[in-house]
Amino acid sequence: MKTITIDPITRLEGHGKINIFLNDHGDVENAYLQIPELRGFEKFAEGRRAEDMPQITSRICGVCPVAHHFAATKALDAAFHVDPPAAAKKLRELLYTGYIIYDHILHFYFLGGPDFVVGPEAPAAKRNILGVIEKAGLDVAKDVIKHRAYGQKITAILGGKATHPVCGLPGGVSKGLSKEEVVEIKNMVASCHTFAKFTLNLFEDVVLKNKTYVDLIQSDPYTLKTYNMGLVDKHNKVNFYDGLIRVTDQEAQELEKFDVKDYTKHIAELVEEWSYMKYPYLKSVGWHGLTDGKTSGIYRVGPLGRLNAADGMATPQAEKEYKRMFDTLGGKPVNSTLAFHWARLIELLYATERAKELIDDADITSTHIRNPVGTPGEGIGVVEAARGTLIHHYHVDKKGLIEKANMIVATTNNAGAITMSVRDAAKGVIHKGHVTEGLLNKVEMAFRAYDPCFGCATHTLPGGLPMTVNIYDHRRKLYKTFSQP
Amino acid sequence: MKTIVLGVGNPILQDDGVGLHVIEALRERLTNPKVTLETAMTGGMNLLDLIRGYEKVILIDAVKQLGSHPGEVKRFKLTDLPTVHSCNPHDVSLSEALQLAEQLKEPQLPSSIILIGITVDNTYEFGEHLSSTVASAVPKAVNLVLEELKNT
Repeated sequence: MKTITIDPITRLEGHGKINIFLNDHGDVENAYLQIPELRGFEKFAEGRRAEDMPQITSRICGVCPVAHHFAATKALDAAFHVDPPAAAKKLRELLYTGYIIYDHILHFYFLGGPDFVVGPEAPAAKRNILGVIEKAGLDVAKDVIKHRAYGQKITAILGGKATHPVCGLPGGVSKGLSKEEVVEIKNMVASCHTFAKFTLNLFEDVVLKNKTYVDLIQSDPYTLKTYNMGLVDKHNKVNFYDGLIRVTDQEAQELEKFDVKDYTKHIAELVEEWSYMKYPYLKSVGWHGLTDGKTSGIYRVGPLGRLNAADGMATPQAEKEYKRMFDTLGGKPVNSTLAFHWARLIELLYATERAKELIDDADITSTHIRNPVGTPGEGIGVVEAARGTLIHHYHVDKKGLIEKANMIVATTNNAGAITMSVRDAAKGVIHKGHVTEGLLNKVEMAFRAYDPCFGCATHTLPGGLPMTVNIYDHRRKLYKTFSQP
Repeated sequence: MKTIVLGVGNPILQDDGVGLHVIEALRERLTNPKVTLETAMTGGMNLLDLIRGYEKVILIDAVKQLGSHPGEVKRFKLTDLPTVHSCNPHDVSLSEALQLAEQLKEPQLPSSIILIGITVDNTYEFGEHLSSTVASAVPKAVNLVLEELKNT
């Protein structure tokens, strides 16, 4: 058996490594994703003041601090037996829409989109935001920068600090909104809304009107028939901040819907010895290996998982786009991995519409933004991070100190699906040991669609080119190395 | 010259946070009012937001480099680096962010950016303290920054 290692993955600048195992004919036998997981969180959290958790956990990730901040804050609401005032929930959700806006814009224009806008066969050096500018023009780039910054600014105004919010407290938030801030946010939201519509049009022009891309999206190697999971409101519409966790099956029928406090009854985690990854699966279906279909408990989270797991979007324009996506791609559920990109843009539109509803709400300037806490105990919180369902679970002792902490992060929820997508994409594009950069990029595309998040300690100076391919013989001894620019 | 010394790192991933420790140590040594000391737990586009408007930027960050041992202190120009990774896998590198800003002809870009890198090894385990090897490199990094600031 020969092994091809793609490391590091271009543009996904973490430490993820894809190992592709070839058989003696040079065809793909299997492919695995290796992610060095951050270790020792439970021990690190032990004995800390519970109210520090929203600040501490927001440091885990440089990109989804807001998601960790609120998963932690909601776990504390539950642990301290307190329900925040309506205005506090709205402020939290408004901040959250700012995060979704900047995160989804960043992913589409900087990370996922270049594959389509510049083209999957383009050299790696062009498949980035600079390539997008060349193709789409400087004005688009200026708008990208502007609206990404608006999303950041909204979170900074509400969160009290740029990037890492400090507003979440058990029972509410520490900071309300002034009338001036409302006006400022309103203007930014309106502009972001226009830009979200523009982005969906761009996607239509560049991707949907190009038959090659639509065929690629719908091709077998990028299709996975898993269960889908996401938070829904009481009408089963997508919600990022609150609701019940809903799981739907391969016919888009509801398999289960539960409160996050019962997550351990529904989700189990398998630890594979050979991998750094944990593989979560649905308990009611069971683990049957890395395979899709109704008999496998593997599920998907993130933009496509959420849209599949819901009955629609709670805002009118996003709802229209939601229907259009399912109509175009052959009904529900959509199992095309690359449709994550489309789903992400529909969510971007939703986030701007929802932000408008919230900022127009009379409650948003209320000063009743915190309720007193009760006695501490166990608490579980959930939010939809940009890349999927995120759960924090704490046991708090009588003094308010953390006894035990656990997290399931979005990328872990997607671990089984990501591994299968990488394998299937590799099978589709590598034959008889023939590997070119365009082909390798298609493997990465499978992976990038999920917008996976690795450990955030990546201050690495690599000693070589962005992509190195190592081929090992069947004894896993290095047999050949080559790099691609 | 309007200068910022920016320590980058994650404060809860042990040696990864060495850049932040260097800034703390500099606060006691530095008196020049023209120099801003700042820390950041982020990368790419967010770093760009922080350095806009300064003429000179000195970044301090943990680096991993093939063939070096933890605790070495090295000076790099931004152009020496194939990529300067952001502190997360979802952002662009600072080099890419800067190229983008240059293409957009942003007016307030720094004319000089250098990186003081402290080589590290383990950055995958939660913890607030530096390993003794990396901690012993902090004074070296501080001196190198002070040396660098003499020319401003």
